[in-house]
Amino acid sequence: MAKPFNELRERLLRAGVAPRHVRRYLAELADHLADLRAEEERAGRSPADAESAALVRLGGTDDLSRAMIEQRQFQSWCARAPWAMFGLAPLFLLAGAYFVACLILWSGWKIFLPGTESPFVPILDGFAIFYFGVGRMLYFAAPVLIGWGIALVAARQRLSAFWPTVGLVLVALIGATAQVHASRPAVPGAVGHVSMDLALGPSAQAASHGLLHALVILSLAALPCLVWRLQRPRSPSA
Amino acid sequence: MAARETNPNFMNGVPELLILRLLQQEEMYGYEIVHAIRSRTEAVVAVGEGVVYPVLHGLERDGALRSRRKNVNGRSRIYYSVTAAGSRRLADLSEAWSNLAAAIQKMLKGGRHGEAIQ
Repeated sequence: MAKPFNELRERLLRAGVAPRHVRRYLAELADHLADLRAEEERAGRSPADAESAALVRLGGTDDLSRAMIEQRQFQSWCARAPWAMFGLAPLFLLAGAYFVACLILWSGWKIFLPGTESPFVPILDGFAIFYFGVGRMLYFAAPVLIGWGIALVAARQRLSAFWPTVGLVLVALIGATAQVHASRPAVPGAVGHVSMDLALGPSAQAASHGLLHALVILSLAALPCLVWRLQRPRSPSA
Repeated sequence: MAARETNPNFMNGVPELLILRLLQQEEMYGYEIVHAIRSRTEAVVAVGEGVVYPVLHGLERDGALRSRRKNVNGRSRIYYSVTAAGSRRLADLSEAWSNLAAAIQKMLKGGRHGEAIQ
């Protein structure tokens, strides 16, 4: 993107304009600027003078940003309802991921381990290892991946830290306290069932272990955001 | 970017009307639209040229305009044209502005208040 629009882009994103609208606006402004520059050069101006004149004709950053910001329909959902985007949406995503992980566990149990009391037994079959591995990966990685998603969205839209932090903490706490249980009734031929609950643990030691787990998830999830924030001063165009 | 003097707030709504009127005749891209506005209003209507895009995007989002990407002379342009909803909106806006302009004209020519405000 042309350098003159860096400030405009930052201003629009910070005002809550959705990145896709910012991208399209700046792309059209860049095309328009090129047309104006060509027109000024055809009128006999030097390239430097043509550039300056074209920028003046295009409009100042204040005017260009105000025109876009005043159109409230271009606001991103993260700006309109941050509580929903960072408080509720990650929880629904996490619930969805856990549901799929439990479904994989339950179906794998039914397919590969039909006679066992629990699916949490050593597995030797190669495909079964892969099948259960996918579910396990989803279960353990979901909080971190969702945390990265939160950090990415917050960074792209230059959001203040409050709501993304709330989302990260919620996801980390749920990720650390989620526990899967599997049991089969002692009736011949009964179907086993898988359930989940959220608990820190019965003892103080288990609780502190859970909190440590939450801290690990939080750190892993927040890591890309921290790296991005640390790198920003070195790349002003970011 | 350098500052430029533009028309004040009473121009609100004018770019929308002019854009719809222009695009009703033929599809255009942003630079063409600004040029056409400037030439047809004899430069009386002066807006920062880039300000036309939020208006175009807003009209498109409202369903009054549609856009399509087109390659012209090796450059990709976004062309805008009026939809049926846009034509209806233009008719409403034109009527409102004509009434307003007539009323203001009457006021400026010294007509009675009761005649001007209908």
